[in-house]
Amino acid sequence: MPTVDNPLERLEFLQGTLEVLILRSLQLGPNHAYGVTQFLERQSGEEFVVDNGSLYPALQRLLQRAWITAQWKTSPNGRRAKYYRLTPTGRKQLVAATSRWQRFVEAMGRILAPEG
Amino acid sequence: MRAWWSKLRCMLTGRRALAEDLDAEIASQLEFEIQENLARGMPPEEARAAARRHAGNLTLIQERAREAWSFPAFETTPQDVRYGLRGIRRSPAFAAVVILTLALGIGATTAIFSVVNTVLLRPLPYPSAERLVYMGESDPKAEGIGVTWVNYQHWRKENHSFEEMAGFRTAHLSLTGRGEALFTRAGLVTSGFFGLVGAKPLLGRVFGPSEDRPGAAPTLVLGYQFWVSKLGADPRVLGATLALDGKSYEVLGVLPPGLHYFSQAIDFYLPMSQFQGEIVDRTRHGSMRLLARLKPGVTLNSALKDLDLIMHRLAETDPGPESNHRAYGQFLAESVTGDIRPTLLILLCAVGLVLTIACANVASLVLARSTARVREMAIRAAIGAGRRRLIRQMLTENLLLAALGGLTGLLLAQWGVRALIGMGPREIPRLAETTFDWRVLLFACAITAATGLFTGFAPVWTAGKLDLVSALKDSSRSATGSKGGQASRSVLVVAEIALTLVLSFAAALLIRSLIAAQTANPGFSPERVLALELVLPSASYRSPAAIAGFYGRLKQDLRGLPGVTAVGAVGCPPSAGDCRDWFYSILDRPAPQPGEVPISLFNTADAEYFGALGIPLREGRAFAASDRPNALLVAIVNETFARKWWPKESAVGGRIKFGGPYREGPIYEIVGVVGNVSQLGLDTEPMPEVYLPFSQSPAEAMVVMMRAAGDPASLAPAVRHRVAEIDRNLPIESLRPLAQNMAATLAQRRFSTLLLALFAGLAMTLAAVGIYGLLNYWVRVREDEIAIRLALGAPRPVIFRWAGWQALRLSLAGAAIGMLAGWWASRWLESLVFGVSAHSIPIMAVAAAAVIGIAVLAAAIPVWRATQVVAVDRLHHG
Repeated sequence: MPTVDNPLERLEFLQGTLEVLILRSLQLGPNHAYGVTQFLERQSGEEFVVDNGSLYPALQRLLQRAWITAQWKTSPNGRRAKYYRLTPTGRKQLVAATSRWQRFVEAMGRILAPEG
Repeated sequence: MRAWWSKLRCMLTGRRALAEDLDAEIASQLEFEIQENLARGMPPEEARAAARRHAGNLTLIQERAREAWSFPAFETTPQDVRYGLRGIRRSPAFAAVVILTLALGIGATTAIFSVVNTVLLRPLPYPSAERLVYMGESDPKAEGIGVTWVNYQHWRKENHSFEEMAGFRTAHLSLTGRGEALFTRAGLVTSGFFGLVGAKPLLGRVFGPSEDRPGAAPTLVLGYQFWVSKLGADPRVLGATLALDGKSYEVLGVLPPGLHYFSQAIDFYLPMSQFQGEIVDRTRHGSMRLLARLKPGVTLNSALKDLDLIMHRLAETDPGPESNHRAYGQFLAESVTGDIRPTLLILLCAVGLVLTIACANVASLVLARSTARVREMAIRAAIGAGRRRLIRQMLTENLLLAALGGLTGLLLAQWGVRALIGMGPREIPRLAETTFDWRVLLFACAITAATGLFTGFAPVWTAGKLDLVSALKDSSRSATGSKGGQASRSVLVVAEIALTLVLSFAAALLIRSLIAAQTANPGFSPERVLALELVLPSASYRSPAAIAGFYGRLKQDLRGLPGVTAVGAVGCPPSAGDCRDWFYSILDRPAPQPGEVPISLFNTADAEYFGALGIPLREGRAFAASDRPNALLVAIVNETFARKWWPKESAVGGRIKFGGPYREGPIYEIVGVVGNVSQLGLDTEPMPEVYLPFSQSPAEAMVVMMRAAGDPASLAPAVRHRVAEIDRNLPIESLRPLAQNMAATLAQRRFSTLLLALFAGLAMTLAAVGIYGLLNYWVRVREDEIAIRLALGAPRPVIFRWAGWQALRLSLAGAAIGMLAGWWASRWLESLVFGVSAHSIPIMAVAAAAVIGIAVLAAAIPVWRATQVVAVDRLHHG
């Protein structure tokens, strides 16, 4: 576990959040695993580090639930890569998860925010 | 659910495709990263390495991703088992030692447990056996006295707590009219008995209420064994008659095999009513006890209170000397196993300790091996094994070893049970029926799993944190894990020594007790004495004169046999147990309260008995020819009796009131005092005993003792011949050397002592192996250190002291803990210890010295090796 004391250390994902974030990253359009990694690191302001050891199993789980599908395609720069795409179910799940997460964050914020 | 389906689909469509797909995907991701790094201006080599580093452990990623598609528990287990088997094959010596150690522990424990299971746990073979109660009467001094016929009738009719109640006792009868006279054992029962023990007739019928009525025609029910062996299994026997003690009984039915209610084999069952007649005296005790079945939901306590109400009522309407008698009851299962229960439980505890020591030994071995395997584990971790997976694999390996040990143990146990049945004393009920049922198998599985988990978790606890880098860089023996491992192994060895001492102390106490019992002065000399046990059938020997006449002539004849130096007769021979006890009081002393009337053993002896057995006469005289039936009634008492009432002065001339002040009974004048004999067995304290002269109170059942000049057994044929000469129809109950009878009383003690000594020996061996292994390892790890010390000028004695101190420290620590634990635990042995205190300091000292000695001996080789390290060799090549 990264320690909170050290601001230089990057954050790890809370249990189960990685899958929601993957869904979010695919909301803009199909992407490959490396693209997902980069998106998440960039969007988090380099706070998150995406470990391949967590990313791939998470992708597999999403595939199993049929929230995403995968297809080999050729990338704009001419490389073959496996592209992941949100399914309608996945989209619904993302909406639900987002609102749940926001309620959670607000609640956490209210508790943790300094009084006054 | 959905995920589960897609997993299943994937399983069917094939794994290989999935793996290849993942490979390609990861490779493509690597490519992206490399391209990006190149674009940032990195040189190609560095770009590749950086991407590789960033990607992480590829194998682990693959494994994890694939795991998402699998059912991990199902799939990795066979793999772990395969790895485990491979590991076992790779180090056969280690595996053999572990399997053998566990097999010994599990085997011994399972064997003892299967005996406990059969004797104590398995329900008795009767319907609703858990509600069966064995009953007698009790008074303030004694429990389980026989129930009188009158009381039984009242209990049976007036109680509200029992479904059924039946009386039973045994009797010895002689069967005549069918060739040679036969000595037979009969069960005297009331009609409810057969329903209570669930016996349905094989032929004919069993007793009904009509057989319980006094004056009913004499009938009997044959036992299966007797019917087959003595009557040729003839079905026409129904309706035929058998002559027992001169009275004809009609055969009503035949029972099926397998009824073993009485402790001895029963030839046939007779109605109790045939032996009771019309009795109205509420204090006429026979040896009848009751068997009863509680109504469902009624507790034994409330049932006894119910009967006590009846007794209170009877005390008012029919008062007498026994108005203070109450009902006594004990669950049948407890009364059957009462004596042996503590012994068996102690043995089970002891063997459990042995198993614990075996476990500690194996755990210690596994620890040593796991420290040696740190490198292997580190490599596995480096190529992608998760920590959890490693632990699971180590556990699987140990469970596998335990399972193999358990299987071997079961085989050992089977053999052990046969040995136990072979050497076990006959007094242990149902011992011969010991088999492996599901409970034993379940028990064996449970202890096997427990040992596997215990020994498997030992390395996980201590070497749980694997420091990859240092483990890979350093040589295995200086890896950080070994320090923790060494400490926990020391703890294990200390525990082993402590437990071994507990067992050794217990074994030493029992051995000392056995020696004390064997060498206990029985009060007479049993060597070269032949004991002839006879019971004269009352039908042919009706009068005291007839009985006296028979024994008089027999003794005369036996005295004439060549090789016989003395002949005497006694009613209850030494070690036969409590043949008869009764109340008494001493005249000219204050009368005791009704509940305080003392009890003494009462025995019958002829004038020559004391001389023939060498029982010393302390005061007064032995019985004499002048003690005729019409003369003054006399008695001889033993020393315990005499000292109890006449601690200083002579007991001769004192007068005993038989039955105490509140019961009818004759008065006897004490004419002599003899030494104590071990009447109840060699390992018992003497009780007060009164001998009455055979000439004044002749008894049908006597044991004639013949002292021989040579081997007493060789006299037997001549003795049989003489008995048949006098009465052709008289069966001989037993004829064997007295020493054999005496030794038989110690059979159970010998059995438990032998087993406990065996366990202690096993524990010592295991502990020795344990301390040897630990020190061996300790020295091996320190060979470099020793070499450096030697090179720096340390003399070898210093090395010797250093290594020796390690061994001694562990032994002393273990011994100290073991002494405390043994001292505390020996309280459970009180009931088995004889002739020595359960808290005996000398015995503890001997046991501790033995255990420390064994430990030091086991440590000697490694310590010696430590002093033999050649500094130059070690430092050059090490």
